[in-house]
Amino acid sequence: MRAFAIAALPVLAFAAALPLAQRAQAQAGKSGQELFAERCAACHVEGGFGTRVLSRRVPEGQAELEKRETLPAALTIAVVRRGIGSMPQIREAELSDADLQAIANYLEKRL
Amino acid sequence: MIILDANRLEQAMQRFAGIVGEENVWRGEEAAHGYKDAFAPRDALSYAPRGAVAPASVEEVQAIVRVAGELGIPLWPTSRGKNFGYGGGAPRMREVVMLDLIRMNRILEVNVEMGYAVVEPGVGFDDLYHYLVDNDIPLWISAPAHTWGSVLGNALERGVGYTPYGEHASKVCGMEVVTGTGELLRTGMGALEGARTWQLFPYGFGPSWDGAFMQSNFGIATKMGIWLMPEPEHTLNLAMAFDRVEDLPLGVDALRPLKLDGTVQANPSFGNIIRNLAVRAPRSAYYQGSGPIPADVLEQARVDSGVGHWNFSIRLFGDKAVNQINAEKVKRAFAHLPYEFEVSEWHRGEPLRGSGSPTPTLGALGVVDWLGGPGGHLTFSPVSPFSGAEAWEQYTTIRGMYEDAGFDYYGGFTAGQRYLNHISMVVFNRNDEEMCARANTLFSDLIETAASKGWGEYRTHTLFYDEVARTYDYNNGALRRWNETVKDAVDPHGIIAPGKMGIWPRAYREGQS
Ligand SMILES: Cc1cc2nc3c(=O)[nH]c(=O)nc-3n(C[C@H](O)[C@H](O)[C@H](O)COP(=O)(O)OP(=O)(O)OC[C@H]3O[C@@H](n4cnc5c(N)ncnc54)[C@H](O)[C@@H]3O)c2cc1C
Ligand code: HEC
Repeated sequence: MRAFAIAALPVLAFAAALPLAQRAQAQAGKSGQELFAERCAACHVEGGFGTRVLSRRVPEGQAELEKRETLPAALTIAVVRRGIGSMPQIREAELSDADLQAIANYLEKRL
Repeated sequence: MIILDANRLEQAMQRFAGIVGEENVWRGEEAAHGYKDAFAPRDALSYAPRGAVAPASVEEVQAIVRVAGELGIPLWPTSRGKNFGYGGGAPRMREVVMLDLIRMNRILEVNVEMGYAVVEPGVGFDDLYHYLVDNDIPLWISAPAHTWGSVLGNALERGVGYTPYGEHASKVCGMEVVTGTGELLRTGMGALEGARTWQLFPYGFGPSWDGAFMQSNFGIATKMGIWLMPEPEHTLNLAMAFDRVEDLPLGVDALRPLKLDGTVQANPSFGNIIRNLAVRAPRSAYYQGSGPIPADVLEQARVDSGVGHWNFSIRLFGDKAVNQINAEKVKRAFAHLPYEFEVSEWHRGEPLRGSGSPTPTLGALGVVDWLGGPGGHLTFSPVSPFSGAEAWEQYTTIRGMYEDAGFDYYGGFTAGQRYLNHISMVVFNRNDEEMCARANTLFSDLIETAASKGWGEYRTHTLFYDEVARTYDYNNGALRRWNETVKDAVDPHGIIAPGKMGIWPRAYREGQS
C-alpha cells in the first residue's frame, strides 16, 4: 500500500516521510520568540489559561509573559522544569535545554 | 513493591546512556520532577520515577528492553505523558525507569486515498493537525478536549474525541510492538511480510491483538495505524442548553435512537454547568463559601452566565443536503423538550475553527484552576448504559457523593453508540492536605459504590489501578488471573509497566502476598 500511495501522490508521500525529529533538531535555529509562540503561547497569550491565573497575582497589564517588565531567565527555567501552581512541568526530552534557554532569554530581555 | 538496588539501577542507566547517549538519560531529582504527576492528589514524588531514558528509534527501544530484562529494571512507557487527570506522565510507583518515547515523533505515512496515518508515539495531535493543514491534506484528526497529548498514547488509553471518528480505539488499524524480550512484532495484517493491507483490514488472521496492547502492559507500541476521517463538505451544529438539571434523562433518551441508527455519528457530550463555568473563571467569581456551591447560587450563576445546567451540541458531518435532512430528524426527536436548538453551519473552505475539526488548544486544562490554588484533579470515568433513567441514577449517586465530600460535581456524559462515558473530575488544591485526603477517600468510595451498582470504569488514574481492577471480579477475578497468565508469558522478566491496570508480574505478586 505504501508503494501505491507514493505512486498516487509522490510529493505528499515524500513529505510524509520527513521526520518531525529533523525539525526538532533544526529548532536550534529558531528564535526564542518563535519557540515561545510554539511551546508556551497557547497558555500565555491573552485569554490563555496561564494568563488567566497570573492576572490574579502579577502587576496589572503584565499577566502575559511577553508583557512582563522583569522575568529572570533562571525563574523561567526553574518554572518550566519543575512546574508551578497549576502549570505542569515540561521535561527535557520534550523541550531541550537549548530551546528552553532561548525562550527564557527572550522573555528576560525580549530580544 | 520491589525496591531497585541503587548500583544495579546505575549500571542500567550507564548502559542505557550507551544506547541513546548520556544527554537522553535522566537520574534522580531531574527524572522525578520531569515525570511526576503535576496534578497529584498526594506527594507527587512518592510515585515519580527513579530514572528516565528517551530512545529515538525502534532499535534503541529493543536494546533498552533487552538490558532492562537482563538487569531486572522495570520500564514505564510513556508517549507524550499528557494523561492529565489520570496521572499525567507518572508511573504507578517510584521503582521504575521511564521509557519516554516522545523523541520518536515521525509521521511515517499519510495515505490520502485510504484515509489513514501511521505514527510513532511522540506525534502529538497538534503535530498531526499541522501536518495535514500545512500540506492541504483533506483528512481530519479526531482529538480529545486538549491537543497536547499523543495520537498513539491516547488511542492506547481508549481516549475519546468529538468527530465521527471519536472512539479512537476503534480507529486503530495495525500496530508495531516491542515485546518484553525485545522482539519486534506487528499486529493484524502487518504480521505478513510486505503486507499491503496493514492499515486497511484491522483483524488479521487468527487472534486479534491490537486490543490486547491497549490499556495494557503486554508490550511497548512503537508504531500505530490510525484511520482519519475524510474532510466533510459541510457540518451542521445543533447546540442546546437545559435550564433544569432534571432534564438530563429526556436528552439522553432523545439522543439514543439517533446514535443507534447512525443519524448522529459523532459523540455529543452533555456537560454540566460547572464544566462550563470552570474554563471561564475560578469558583470564587461565583461563590466564596466552602463546600459545594449551593443550588440557588449555582442557579443564579447559570442565569448570569447564560449557560445551561446541561450543555451539549449535536454536530452532523457530511453532505449539506444529508445534514439538513438529519438536522430535521434531530429537531423532531427533541421537539418535546422545552428548548430550541441554536444552529450553526460550516462549509468546506471556511476557517476550521468552529467546523467540528479539532484545532490546537490547551484551554480545557484551565479547569484545574477552579479552586484557585495550585490545582489538582482526579478523573472518575464510569460507563453508563445509554438510558435516561440509568444515567440519572448514576449522576445523582455520584453527584451526591461529591457534594457529601465537600466537592462541586464537575462532569458530563459523552455518548458512544450504546453507552455513555460519564466523566467527572474531583478538583482540589494540592497545597491543602485535608482536601487532598478527602479527594482520595472520595475517589475510593466512588469506585466501590459504582461497582456495587454494576458500573465499571473505562479508565482510571495510575494510583487507583488496583482498586478499579479489583472491581472486575467476575468468577473470582477470572479476567485478572487471565491477564496475569498472559503477562507472565509475554513479559517473563516482568519489566514492562508493572502494575499498569492492576496487572502485576509474578515477582511482584509473590512479593505482595
Ligand atoms: C481538562 C481535561 C480534558 C480532557 N479531555 C479528554 C478527552 O476529551 N478525551 C480523552 O480521551 N482524554 C481527555 N483527557 C485526558 C488526557 O489528558 C488525554 O487523554 C491525553 O491525550 C492522554 O495523554 P497522552 O496522549 O500524552 O498519552 P500518554 O500519557 O503518553 O499515554 C497514556 C498511557 O498509555 C500508556 N502508554 C503510552 N504510550 C505507550 C506505548 N507506546 N506503549 C505502551 N503503553 C503506552 C502508558 O501507561 C501511559 O501512561 C482530558 C484531561 C483533562 C485534564
Ligand atoms: C498548559 C498551560 C501552560 C503552558 C503550556 C505553559 N504554561 Fe507557564 N503557566 C501556566 C499557568 C497556569 C501558570 C500560573 C501558575 C500558578 O501560579 O498557578 C504559569 C506560570 C508561568 C510562569 C511563572 C510566572 C511568575 O511570575 O510566577 C512562567 C515563568 C511560565 N509559566 C513560563 C512558561 C513557559 C516558558 C512555557 C513554555 C515553555 C509555559 N510557561 C507553558 C500554564 C502554562
